[in-house]
Amino acid sequence: MNDLYLIYKNMTRKPLRLFLTCFAIFIAFLIFGAVTTLKSALDAGIDLAADNRLVVVNKINFTQPLPIAYAQKVAAVDGVENVTYANWFGGYYQEARNQIVAMAVEPESWLQVYEREILLPPEQRAAWLGNRQGVIVGESLAQRLGWKIGDRVPVSSSIFSHKDGGHTWDFVVEGIFTGSDPQHDTNSMYLHFKYFMETQSFGGEWIGWITLTTADAAQNQRIADAIDDGFANSQAETDTSTEEAFSKAFIEQIGNIGLIIFGVVFMAFFTILILVGNTMALAVRERTGEIAVLKTLGFPAPRIFKMVLTESLLIALIGGLAGLGAAWLIIEGAKGTMAQFLPNLMLDSGIALQALLFMLLLGLVTGLLPALNALRLNIVTAFNRG
Amino acid sequence: MRSLFSQVSAVTVMNIRSLPRRLWMSLAMVLASAVVVAILLAFLAMAKGFEATMSGAGSDAVALMMREGSQAELNSVISRDQVNLVEEAPGIARDAEGPLVSPELYVIVDGIKKSTGSKANIPLRGLDKRGMAMRGNMQLLEGRMFTPGTNEMIVGSGILREFDGFQLGNEIRFGKNMWTVVGVFSTGGNVFESELWADAKMIQSHYNRGSSYQTIRAQLENPGDLEPLTAYFDTESQLNLELKTEADYFAEQGKQLQYMAIFGRVISFIMALGALAGALNTMYTSVADRAKEIATLRTLGFSNFSAFCGTIAEALVLAIAGGLLGSLAAFLFFDGMNASTLGGSFTQVVFSFEMSPDLFVQGAVLALLIGFVSGFFPAWRAARMPVIVAFRNAA
Repeated sequence: MNDLYLIYKNMTRKPLRLFLTCFAIFIAFLIFGAVTTLKSALDAGIDLAADNRLVVVNKINFTQPLPIAYAQKVAAVDGVENVTYANWFGGYYQEARNQIVAMAVEPESWLQVYEREILLPPEQRAAWLGNRQGVIVGESLAQRLGWKIGDRVPVSSSIFSHKDGGHTWDFVVEGIFTGSDPQHDTNSMYLHFKYFMETQSFGGEWIGWITLTTADAAQNQRIADAIDDGFANSQAETDTSTEEAFSKAFIEQIGNIGLIIFGVVFMAFFTILILVGNTMALAVRERTGEIAVLKTLGFPAPRIFKMVLTESLLIALIGGLAGLGAAWLIIEGAKGTMAQFLPNLMLDSGIALQALLFMLLLGLVTGLLPALNALRLNIVTAFNRG
Repeated sequence: MRSLFSQVSAVTVMNIRSLPRRLWMSLAMVLASAVVVAILLAFLAMAKGFEATMSGAGSDAVALMMREGSQAELNSVISRDQVNLVEEAPGIARDAEGPLVSPELYVIVDGIKKSTGSKANIPLRGLDKRGMAMRGNMQLLEGRMFTPGTNEMIVGSGILREFDGFQLGNEIRFGKNMWTVVGVFSTGGNVFESELWADAKMIQSHYNRGSSYQTIRAQLENPGDLEPLTAYFDTESQLNLELKTEADYFAEQGKQLQYMAIFGRVISFIMALGALAGALNTMYTSVADRAKEIATLRTLGFSNFSAFCGTIAEALVLAIAGGLLGSLAAFLFFDGMNASTLGGSFTQVVFSFEMSPDLFVQGAVLALLIGFVSGFFPAWRAARMPVIVAFRNAA
């Protein structure tokens, strides 16, 4: 008789139990997959930050503006490679709830600083640089709003007012950019800072923040200190940090809520695994008598050990992989609607690998003890017990 | 009837007294329901606490005006001229000093969070006496009011709880300006407690705001009645302001955490399914273990119904024990837990988890549900299995 056949028979002898066990594992990994993906999407900004990019913001708080003249002074600091600046536009399309991540940027330097992240065909790049009213739009944003190259689009600002009295600007879509990495956020649009500056009714020569690249990441700290020292006791003091530190600080603002939620969910995940493990171990213990019979029949102990272990591993994998698959389906389905808030929603291989590890662990831990018992089982005591 | 009742109770008592014998399985069942209940309560307590913080802030008697399309106080810009026009508006309450209108500024500054030591956004609100009077439940806990025209501020008690360095008497530097904390205020636990308050004119000058403001609050003559104001706004083309009651504004701002609560419910529901599968498994195994016992009882003349009830009662007892355990754990860990998160205005909202009695009721209902479902099917099977089969299988 084939071992696999025996394992199959053992597994399916109580179909209801098999189903319930697999279902519980399924649920556990469904939630694990979905919640871990959510968490990594929240952290994505940190992982994607380039290590030689620094962000300069107002020391009071990053929502306070900086004078535009600061950009030139920053460029003069030794070791600074490229400098660009931007302002938050607070965009929305047609309705205030339809928010758009829109920034007014200095186009040429912006594309230089983000040359690795923003992929834009050369002719679109030239078109954008040549048209002040032009904007470039991220692929996923363009898809969401149905915008195509050449479209004239009205975008309103929740912060600024147009000179003409309204809050709406007319832009022309000159380019649609993609990200070099699927986790790169393409849910944003960029407009010319100059056009913005000339058409707004207030705000004058102020920018939101400065982004710069350093020639050598090892010099980051020195350069950051040089910038901040240079602006000490000036009109607006600055706070310079690496892009990574900046994103991290921003995400920490969401606060301990995230931590509490993930804590609670992971606790639940492990509890379900313990519960399931307990039942699986019980199921093997119930079969002590049968294992004794197998041994009597001459099955070598290691073979029985392997069979028991394979069974629990199989159950863990069936439930777990199905759960992970379902989580993937849900994430793929939610991607479109969630893109506005969480652009980096992706169940990547890292998460899948982690889940797989937990499945193997579950199978091993729940199988090992009963399997060892089976291995060491003394036939006579087993029969006496039954 | 009496015999049926005594049969049921006899079987129930027997089942429950034999629970220690099936210690591990019973514990598994208890754990399953405890976890589900704890998760549900944690999410609900969070939502409840946040909601209380938000809804307590909004008054129906106060109208809030922002620039059209701004959605949050932070984004809005309002000119002095517009403030003057609003002061002329009908439908606004007046006292001896004139209309009860409070133009306010809203600036974000950094604070250091106690829990993580990291920077977080907190709002510095510029207002005057009128504005404070409009927060009906505002009271000074310590110190005194700030003196207009100076760099003095008063801090909300929520800020004191979550952030370092805002104690009474401290000097705080925001950019080039030093501020002195002269008072600590409470607004009865609502969102205003997560703010710093100072003189509006000082903030205008320190933050290059000229004579502009961000929002206007106005005490309404008749609470909830925006009609006269709306009509007036329609005739004044300069007043392209969004008008809503403060209560409505905060209700909207509170929405985002409601999504968290929905997310929590969905997660605990799905988790409940998983735990239910575990519990069902346990009960099935537990009943199968005792197939012979149950068959013996039935041979002795106990009815199927009493066997059924006994099993269900067992599951219910275990689930309720789990529910209690889960509620207790949730209460110990989460009740009163301070948390803060980024609110709709891009600033930290400090709030506490709040475990109210109605949450416990929801937890108890969930525990009972788990107990009932996980007991019902195994009990049904046990009661219907022919006695002969039971004896043969168990042998």
